[in-house]
Amino acid sequence: MRLRGVLVAATLLAFLLPLLWTALASLGVLPDNSSRPPSWRGSASLDHFAEVGIAEPAFWNELVTSVLTSACAAAIAVGAGFFAAYGLARAPFRSSRFVTQGFLVLASLPAMAYVIPLSDLMRRVHLLDSFAAVVLSEAAATAPLAVFVLHGAVAQLAPEWEEAAVLDGAGLFRVIGRVILPLVAPSVVATALVLFVLDWNMLLVPLVLTSGEIKTIPLGLSDFFTFERELDWPTAAAALIVSLAPVAALVGLFHRVLGRFSLDLATPA
Amino acid sequence: MRLTRRDRLFLFAPLALLLAGWLVLPALLGLLATFTTYSPFAIGVHFSGLANYAAVIRDPLFGSAARNVAVFTLVAVPLELVIGFSVAYLLRRPFHGRAALRVLLLLPWLVSPIASGVMWHFLFGSATGVVDFVLGWLGRPDLPSPLGDPRLALPAVIAVEVWRVAPFVTFLLLPSLASIPSERWEEATLSGASWTGRVRHVAIPAVRPLLLTITMLLTGLSLGTFDAVLILTGGGPGPATVTPALYSYNRAFGVNDWPVGATSGWLIAAAVLGAGLIYLRLSRTRFVE
Repeated sequence: MRLRGVLVAATLLAFLLPLLWTALASLGVLPDNSSRPPSWRGSASLDHFAEVGIAEPAFWNELVTSVLTSACAAAIAVGAGFFAAYGLARAPFRSSRFVTQGFLVLASLPAMAYVIPLSDLMRRVHLLDSFAAVVLSEAAATAPLAVFVLHGAVAQLAPEWEEAAVLDGAGLFRVIGRVILPLVAPSVVATALVLFVLDWNMLLVPLVLTSGEIKTIPLGLSDFFTFERELDWPTAAAALIVSLAPVAALVGLFHRVLGRFSLDLATPA
Repeated sequence: MRLTRRDRLFLFAPLALLLAGWLVLPALLGLLATFTTYSPFAIGVHFSGLANYAAVIRDPLFGSAARNVAVFTLVAVPLELVIGFSVAYLLRRPFHGRAALRVLLLLPWLVSPIASGVMWHFLFGSATGVVDFVLGWLGRPDLPSPLGDPRLALPAVIAVEVWRVAPFVTFLLLPSLASIPSERWEEATLSGASWTGRVRHVAIPAVRPLLLTITMLLTGLSLGTFDAVLILTGGGPGPATVTPALYSYNRAFGVNDWPVGATSGWLIAAAVLGAGLIYLRLSRTRFVE
């Protein structure tokens, strides 16, 4: 299988070269494209990471805001999505699968389809520029995906798992907490992680719901670029690497669990 | 377990509240508003029929946006599927270091569309870029950034988005491809199937429903393309890369033409819901089989 080795290496190079280039630039190592053949200039230093805070003084605040909004939004979406997914999976009506697929269509709906009236609605209920509006809107945008994935996870479980607990007199919340949740915990964690990444990278929702009070990383990066065109590449590269690092670390830490994020519609057991 | 009415209320209420307040209600109010002269700061509001829709459809800029997003979707989605599937197929059997490779290959998807826009702006640039570095090694002259060329801007934007999204497709497909029992591959090999035969008769059937679901998600994602072009080209040069989402945003928040912005936003919703009906239809016929 030497061919496969070559193909894997080529794939890795194609997808990671742009990021490698950015990482080198953030360290101050830049290509010199005017010489023939092109060469490298600059020596590695961490100075550009310090410059991020000078070019965009709010950058470190934005990082904290992004962590908080994404974590809250992912938790709310996964929580609400999990309960509904369980209800659907154990619903007596046969078309529950069809309803679940409807949630996938909702998950595919781009935010642009409704954020213009959403921002008007939030202004009218005095939630514009509030943490709650950003978190709840991000949660609503991603919850349908959580329902779809978690429905698949719950529907795979045989109903017998719950029968014993029910015979012992356990109520709904005991059954969910003691029986179901432990069984689907990996899927729940995986879903929360994927939603966290989606929220972390979301631009449109915070963009239309705030006038700069609640600023997340994508918003910070975008005006980094629009208002300060003279901004140099190494500093922008350093900001990019810093904004990528938290999600990359999370994915690295939890990569085993992430395989449980499955869009397969389970065949009911 | 058998759910009582009260149980069901507890289970569905949180999601219903969240979706109703922050998605469905704004979407429906927005739909109503598109048939009126409503705008957040307008004094009087009256019914205007289809006037907003006529205004959007007559605008040549919206025409370019619709054409661009159609090209974007028809080119980007199949490319993302084919590349994502090929990489997953390549990694389907365990080998030393596969776990690490999976994490590394997911990295492009972790980059936000905004960050990827900033990054590729510089990577396409001649002084700092990777493209001209490689061309220089090959002894070729520098190319001006494709982002400034009306004919190359859209292909460049598509290429950047494929780079970002194909790894996500691989991530979604790999667990299913990897769980195909090895006997199935061996059977196919023994019966003399070439690698195209193995792809068509072993791999694709195992992931067909999954591919349909992924196609739906990717289609919605491309029809709403906004932040992927915002930084990279801002819709330019001219109307070369403007999309309906960018058009809606600029109308509603840039030039304060709220009704037209909300209307073109609803046209995106209509396109995605149309695709959704096809998706529901296709997955239904699969159950009947």
